[in-house]
Amino acid sequence: MEQDKTKNWHDKYYKLFLLIPLVLLLFSLIYMGIFYSKNNDFIYKDISLTGGTSVTLYGQIDKLDLEQTLSEKLEDISTREIYDLITREQIAVIVETKTEGDEAEKILEEYLGYELDEDNSSFEFTGSALSESFYKQLLIAILFAFIFMAIVIFIIFRTVIPSAAVIISAFADILMTLVLVNLFGIKLSSAGIVAFLMLIGYSVDTDILLTTRILKRHEGSINQRIFGAFKTGITMTLTSLVAITIALIIVKSFSIILTQIFTILAIGLSFDILNTWITNVSILKWYVQRKNEN
Amino acid sequence: MKIKLTWKIWLLIIVLALSLISIVNFSGLFEKGVLITSVESNSTAFEQGLRQGQIITEIDGKPVETLEDFAKIIQEKFPVEENVKTIIKTKDSEIILYSDKAPQITVSEISKTKIKTGLDLAGGSRALVQAQDKKLSAKEVEDLISITDNRFNVYGITDINLRSVSDLTGNHFMSVEIAGATPKDLEKLISEQGKFEAKIGNETVFIGGERDIASVCRNDATCAGIESCQQSSDGSHYCRFRFAIYLSENAAERHAEITDNLEINSTNPEYLSEKLDLYLDDVLVDSLFIGKDLKGQVTTQISISGSGNGETRNYAYEEAEESMHKLQTILITGSLPYKLEIVKLDTISPVLGKEFIKTIFLAGAAALFAVSIIIFFRYKKFKSSLALLVTSISEIVIILGVASFIKWNLDLPSIAGILATIGTGIDQQIIILDEAKQSLSLSIKQRMKMAFAIILGAYFTALVALLPLMWAGAGLLKGFAITTIIGITTGVLITRPAFTDMIKRIEKD
Repeated sequence: MEQDKTKNWHDKYYKLFLLIPLVLLLFSLIYMGIFYSKNNDFIYKDISLTGGTSVTLYGQIDKLDLEQTLSEKLEDISTREIYDLITREQIAVIVETKTEGDEAEKILEEYLGYELDEDNSSFEFTGSALSESFYKQLLIAILFAFIFMAIVIFIIFRTVIPSAAVIISAFADILMTLVLVNLFGIKLSSAGIVAFLMLIGYSVDTDILLTTRILKRHEGSINQRIFGAFKTGITMTLTSLVAITIALIIVKSFSIILTQIFTILAIGLSFDILNTWITNVSILKWYVQRKNEN
Repeated sequence: MKIKLTWKIWLLIIVLALSLISIVNFSGLFEKGVLITSVESNSTAFEQGLRQGQIITEIDGKPVETLEDFAKIIQEKFPVEENVKTIIKTKDSEIILYSDKAPQITVSEISKTKIKTGLDLAGGSRALVQAQDKKLSAKEVEDLISITDNRFNVYGITDINLRSVSDLTGNHFMSVEIAGATPKDLEKLISEQGKFEAKIGNETVFIGGERDIASVCRNDATCAGIESCQQSSDGSHYCRFRFAIYLSENAAERHAEITDNLEINSTNPEYLSEKLDLYLDDVLVDSLFIGKDLKGQVTTQISISGSGNGETRNYAYEEAEESMHKLQTILITGSLPYKLEIVKLDTISPVLGKEFIKTIFLAGAAALFAVSIIIFFRYKKFKSSLALLVTSISEIVIILGVASFIKWNLDLPSIAGILATIGTGIDQQIIILDEAKQSLSLSIKQRMKMAFAIILGAYFTALVALLPLMWAGAGLLKGFAITTIIGITTGVLITRPAFTDMIKRIEKD
């Protein structure tokens, strides 16, 4: 009986539900438009994409003092701590700056009062021209990944609207995640962009499940099929979310790269719940019901 | 559960076993000693024949089984006031050093696995090099690599990986990777143009590059090649090579002036008393005899010869050919053909690597544990949850197995890829579990077929989405694409079919 109640409730309002993602999508597009005109870019970039130096200094170093003392000498300085997961003891400080490697090394050595070598530090320097081309290529990679994904979806389902629904949902996932990442002011690294690539893969999984169950199965009512797919899909997304959140907590103290990847995936998967079970379901249901009427 | 297994499960077991064989370093499991990871060139240890890769088993008669043993012996013995004798026994040789300093080597434990970790975990340096104000062609990068490789060899750095990498926009780079300790002047070594000098005594006759050397004969049998091979009295072979170089007029005149003042070598009357010494960046790379006929002659053509030794004629021949090529390269490219620019330079300390790997393992284990608890509560079936856990773990093992088989260096992007694969893998297993329970009017076989349709769809979308990453960004993120592709392909071909059979079995019970 509960099934029936669900059915009525969903049948009545599912088209209305579409307003939620639609409003969010509209807001995201406007936000990104303003963001782009302001920053002339889609994201805030960290030094792996703008060029500059990242130095990891091992040992107990006063992060605040370092940042304050060197803010004049090192261009666009920012610092972060790495600490032990259990003891919470500081292991290292990461200093990021747009200043070139050699120069940054000298300035840091002067401040610290000792020579930097491979036992007490790591250096990563990327030239700005390389970073720029790197960034462009990653954008191209994402664009192509998206297009390839779209083509495969069309080949699998061979119908325009259901395929488009999957693609729109994936697009919405990425766009909404991007907006939230920007709202949080997260500076993206190249790894962060890769996380968006992973998101393409993760988000279409549940959409493919849903569309296959609804279009290629003929058992039960459409609502039963949707509900069945929902049970499977939400288990998938929630297990992924739990796994990612736990991993995020553990690596947060240690790896900036993995932290960023996991953060973006967690945000993306949360939006995927909305986009699969509202956006995609509503479009698909609408499509099936119109087809049945004709 | 019945013991009879389907072929799909057998396939999984076999692939798992092969992966384990590929991962585990069996000789390392039973071998005792410490592995030499680097030897300072120009040190007594190097001169006496200690090399990277050798395994030290004994020092001064005391057994060395662990790093602690090694450190203890060395710390007790050094520093000392005067030279002392140290007998280092390796697996297949014994080396005796006289020094007041500890041997200038670094050691590590013998690895128990064959998994290679990338620079960001193992420590080391990586550089991407481009020409300044010039776009290099693929061919030019190959030439650059051969010059650089030669240079590193001259400097005694051999554990180096030079590759040509290109990116989506058609830029070519030289990628330099050095594992472990970073040479101090890495930057200079890679990007400085380099100084080549040929000296007689203290006087410079000519230097590398077009100003003094008009051309060098290469790949032309009429003016370059192996002349003769002979067996010496001790049974070893040696082969002599000879090739011509053409000096510019200025250099030829200078040569005449300097050789005019030399005398005939008293012990070897075919040659002059002094040799022509070749220096590269102030390091002596070769000394050549000067034929007596050349004394005081303004000659543009100079014949340069040398030899290669070996246990057999073939070895000697190869060695001679190699030396000839090396010399030719040095003469042509004593200075690099263009100014270079290091566009990316990372020197990563090995200090945090181990802890990092521990953290990742912890994160992975905790995530997997959480997932199995969720699955257990969702399906209330212990066997299914266990099957899911086993399948995911075998997937990790297989990815690592393939990665060590193709000698892929696991870096951070690769590890992110493994995590991504496990995530999608679990998702797909959930699809299988749910399909197994669905629509009871169909047979389990048909239901599994349906699950596979979904999984294949997901596989192809993920695969095509990853392809652009293989080329984007000079391959720095290729690791992510590689491990993910290995992972999802293993999933579709091996682990998912096996899991399906496991579930079929469990459902039947």
